[in-house]
Amino acid sequence: MSENAIISLRNISVDFDDERVLKSINLDIMDKEFITFLGPSGCGKTTTLRIIGGFVDPCEGDVFFEGKRINGLPPHKRHVNTVFQRYALFPHLNVYENIEFGLKISKLPERERRQRVMEALELVNLKGYERRGIHQLSGGQQQRVAIARAIVNQPKVLLLDEPLGALDLKLRKDMQVELKRIQQSLEITFIYVTHDQEEALTMSDRVVVMKDGNILQIGTPQDIYNEPTNAFVADFIGESNIIDGIMHKDFQVEFANDFFECVDKGFTPMERVQVVIRPEDLKIVSPEGAKITGVVESVIFKGVHYEIMVETLGYRWMIHNTQYVEPGTLIGMSVTPEDIHIMHRMEEEP
Amino acid sequence: MKKWYAKTYVSLVMIFLYVPIAVLILFSFNASKSRAVWAGFSLKWYRELFHNELILTSLYNTMVVALVASVVATILGTAAALGIYSMKRKWFRSAIMNVTYMPITNPEIVMGVSLLLLFVFMSEKMHLPLELGLGTLIIAHVTFCTPYVILNVLPKLRQIDKFIYEAAMDLGCSPTQAFLKVIIPEIAPGVFAGFIMALTYSVDDFIISYFVSSASSATLPVTIGAMVRKRISPEINALSAIVFVVVLAVLLIYNFISIRHEKQIQKGGGSFR
Amino acid sequence: MKFRYASAPYVVWSVIFVVVPLFLVVGFAFTDSSGQFTLDNISKVTTYTAVFMRSIWLSVIATVICLLVGYPLAFIMSRCLPSGQRTLTMLIMLPMWINFLLRTYAWMTILEHNGILNTILTTLGFQPLNMINTQGAVVLGMIYNYLPFMILPLYSIMTKISGSVIEAAQDLGANPFLVFARVILPLSMPGVTTGITMVFVPSVSTFIISRMLGGGSNMMIGDLIDAQFLGNAYNPNLGAAISLVLMVIILLFMSILNQFEDSEEKEGMMI
Repeated sequence: MSENAIISLRNISVDFDDERVLKSINLDIMDKEFITFLGPSGCGKTTTLRIIGGFVDPCEGDVFFEGKRINGLPPHKRHVNTVFQRYALFPHLNVYENIEFGLKISKLPERERRQRVMEALELVNLKGYERRGIHQLSGGQQQRVAIARAIVNQPKVLLLDEPLGALDLKLRKDMQVELKRIQQSLEITFIYVTHDQEEALTMSDRVVVMKDGNILQIGTPQDIYNEPTNAFVADFIGESNIIDGIMHKDFQVEFANDFFECVDKGFTPMERVQVVIRPEDLKIVSPEGAKITGVVESVIFKGVHYEIMVETLGYRWMIHNTQYVEPGTLIGMSVTPEDIHIMHRMEEEP
Repeated sequence: MKKWYAKTYVSLVMIFLYVPIAVLILFSFNASKSRAVWAGFSLKWYRELFHNELILTSLYNTMVVALVASVVATILGTAAALGIYSMKRKWFRSAIMNVTYMPITNPEIVMGVSLLLLFVFMSEKMHLPLELGLGTLIIAHVTFCTPYVILNVLPKLRQIDKFIYEAAMDLGCSPTQAFLKVIIPEIAPGVFAGFIMALTYSVDDFIISYFVSSASSATLPVTIGAMVRKRISPEINALSAIVFVVVLAVLLIYNFISIRHEKQIQKGGGSFR
Repeated sequence: MKFRYASAPYVVWSVIFVVVPLFLVVGFAFTDSSGQFTLDNISKVTTYTAVFMRSIWLSVIATVICLLVGYPLAFIMSRCLPSGQRTLTMLIMLPMWINFLLRTYAWMTILEHNGILNTILTTLGFQPLNMINTQGAVVLGMIYNYLPFMILPLYSIMTKISGSVIEAAQDLGANPFLVFARVILPLSMPGVTTGITMVFVPSVSTFIISRMLGGGSNMMIGDLIDAQFLGNAYNPNLGAAISLVLMVIILLFMSILNQFEDSEEKEGMMI
C-alpha cells in the first residue's frame, strides 16, 4: 500500500445479477488529490464510487481508508460525503436545513452549526438563499446546495457522482472552475465520476480510465492524452486517427502502405499493432514526396480550427488545421516520429 | 425484500387478508349447512344459487344499472373534464372541483340519505316520476361515478402538449378534426380507466343503492345485504367464491397483458441503441 | 381549445343531485314533520352522545391500528423490485374488489359462537371464546375492510421517495432510526394524512359492519341514521340532523388533519 494513500482498493470485484460489473480493481487514491473515474456508461465507475461511499458491498476484495479495512462499514459511519447524481436534496427542507442536516445528526451545538452552514454557503456563492425551498432553485443552485451539504461536514474525501451531468454547457464550464477552486481551498480529496473526457482532463490531478469493469489506464491528464496505453483510451480521450499497422522492428512501423520512423520499441517483430495519431499532429504538406496523400473530402469550421476529413486508400483521416483547404484538393500529410503512438491490439470485441 | 423479517411481516398481513376469503370459498363446497364443520364435498350451494330467482334478478339489475350509469358517467365526465380544463375563471373552476370531490369525500351514507330525501321530495312535493327503482338507482350511480371519470381524464388533458392541437390545425385539420384526431386519442386511456372505475364502483356499491332502490329493483349487493342481515345462507359462500375467481381472473389477465406490453416496450427500446 | 361549455351538463347535474340534496339534509334537520322550523332534532341528537362517542372511539382505534400495520408494509412494498411491487399491489387490491358485505360475512363465520375459530379451539381442548357481537369484532371488521385504503396511499407516496435521498441521509451520518425520523416520515406525511382520512371517514360512518359483527348492542352513527330512514324508528328529520352532525364531525376532523399538512408544507415553502 502506498504511504500517502487515503483510500486503497484491493482486488475489488462486484456482481450484479450474476454479471461481473467490476473485475478485480486495484487503486490507490492519494490524500488531497483530485482524481477522476472516466469511462462510458456501464464501465463500473459509479459502482466503484458507491463502494467507497459504502452503498455497495464488494463481493471480493478489500477497501482501506487511511490504512484501516472498512468493508461492511455502513455509510453513516464513514468519513466521506457524496454529491449525488441528481443532487438528492431533501424536498421537505429548505436550503439552510438541507446543509445543516449532517451537522444536526452529529449533534453539533447550534452556534457552530450556524457558522459552518454560513461558511459553506459563502464557499458555494449562495449567501442569502438560506430560506429558499429546494424547488425554488435553478439546477445550478441545487447543485451548489448539494456540494455545500456535503462539504459542510468537513469530510476527508468528497465523492462526486457526475455532479454536472444535468447542467447546460455554459453552467457546466463555470462549475468546473468553481469545483476546482473549492477543492483547492478545502485541501481535501475529490473523487469525481464522469463520462465527459474534457471535464476529466481539465479538472483532475489524475484520471482513471475504465471500461467493462476494468481499469485501462491511470495517469495525469497529460499522460492519458499523450501516451494512451491502448486504442480505446486514445479514442475515448479526444479524437484520434486509429490505423492498423505492423511493427517491423524497434522504431520502425508500417502503415498506410509505407514505413515510418517512430519512438516505440519492445514489440515482437512483425507484430500487428494499432497506430494512433492525433488530428492536430498531422501537418498538411505538398503532395509531392509526401508519404500519405489524399483528397480533402469535407471541411468544417470548429471555432479555433478547421476539421478536415481526407480520403486516402483504405482510410479516412481527420486533421485539425488552422488553415482552410478547399474540398477536392489533393494534399500530402506528414507526422513526426514522436507523434506516432503504437499500441498493442485490443482483444477482439464480440 | 432481502430481509427475512420483512418477508415474514408481508406474509402475516397477506394471511390476515386472505384467510377469511379462503374460509368462505372452502365452505362453499361443504355438504352441510354448517359453516364450521366440514361434512364432505358438494356443489349443492352452487346449484341452489343458480336457481335462486332473487339473486338472478338482482344480478340482472346490477348489470343494467352499472352499464347505463357508467356509460352516462363517462360521457358526462369526459365533457366536464374538457370544460374544466379550458375554463378561464379560476374561482369557478375550483368551485366545480370542490363539488366534484364531494361525492368522494362525503360519507356514502350521507350521500345515500341526501339522494333519498331528494327523490322522495321530488316525487311527493313536485310530482315528478321519481319513485324509487332502477331510474333512481341509475341517477345515483351516475352521480357518484362521474367524479371518478373526471379525475381520470383531467390529468391526461393536462399532460397534452398544447402545441399538438395547433400543429394538427397547422397541418390542415379543422378544429373538430384536430379534436377527434389528436385530443381524443391522447385522453382515451384516461376515459377508459374512468369508465372501468365507474363500472367497478357501480357494481360494488351497497350503501347508496340501499337507500335509493326498491324491493323489486335491488342490485346484487343490496340483496346480499338483506340476506346477511336476516339469516346466513351458504349460497352466499358460493357467490363469494364465484366473485373471487372472476376478479382474480380479470386481474391476472390484466397483469399478464401489461407485463407483455412492458416487455415489448423494453425490446423496442433495446433495438434503438 | 374551446370547450368551455362542455361542462355545463355536468354542472347542472351536480347542482341537482349533489348540492340540492345536501341542502335538503340541512332543511330537514331544522324542520319538523309538518315543515315548521325547529331546533328539536338537533337537540335530540345529544341524547345519542354515547353512540357518537362509541363510533368515534372505535374508528380512531381502527385507524391507528391500520396506520401501525400499514406503514411498515407500504414501506417494504415501495423498496421491492418493480415485479414484486406489482404483485403486492395486486394482492392488496384483490380483496377490495370483493364486496365488503361478503368480506364482513367471512369474519362472521369465523368469529361466531359455533364458528371456525371456536370449533378449532374446542377441538384443541380450549374454552370457546366470545368474539362475535363485541366491540373488538367491529374494530376488526373495520380494519379488515379499510386496511388497503391505508396501505395504497402510503405506498404511492413512498415510491416517490427516491433511494438516493435515503442514501444522502446515510451519507450525512444518519443511522437507520434518524433516516426514518428525519427523512422518510416527513416525506411520507401526505400519504399518512390521506390514509387516515380514507380509513377514518368510512369507519366513523359505517353502519352494516357494526350490525353484522357487533350485534344489536354496538350500534354506530350509521345504524342510527339507517334506523331513522328505512328502519323501525322512522323519522327523516332526526335522521337528517344526525347526518348533519356526522358531516360536521368529519369536516372538523379533516380540517384538523389539513392543519398538519399545511404547516408541514409551509415550513418547506414559505420561511
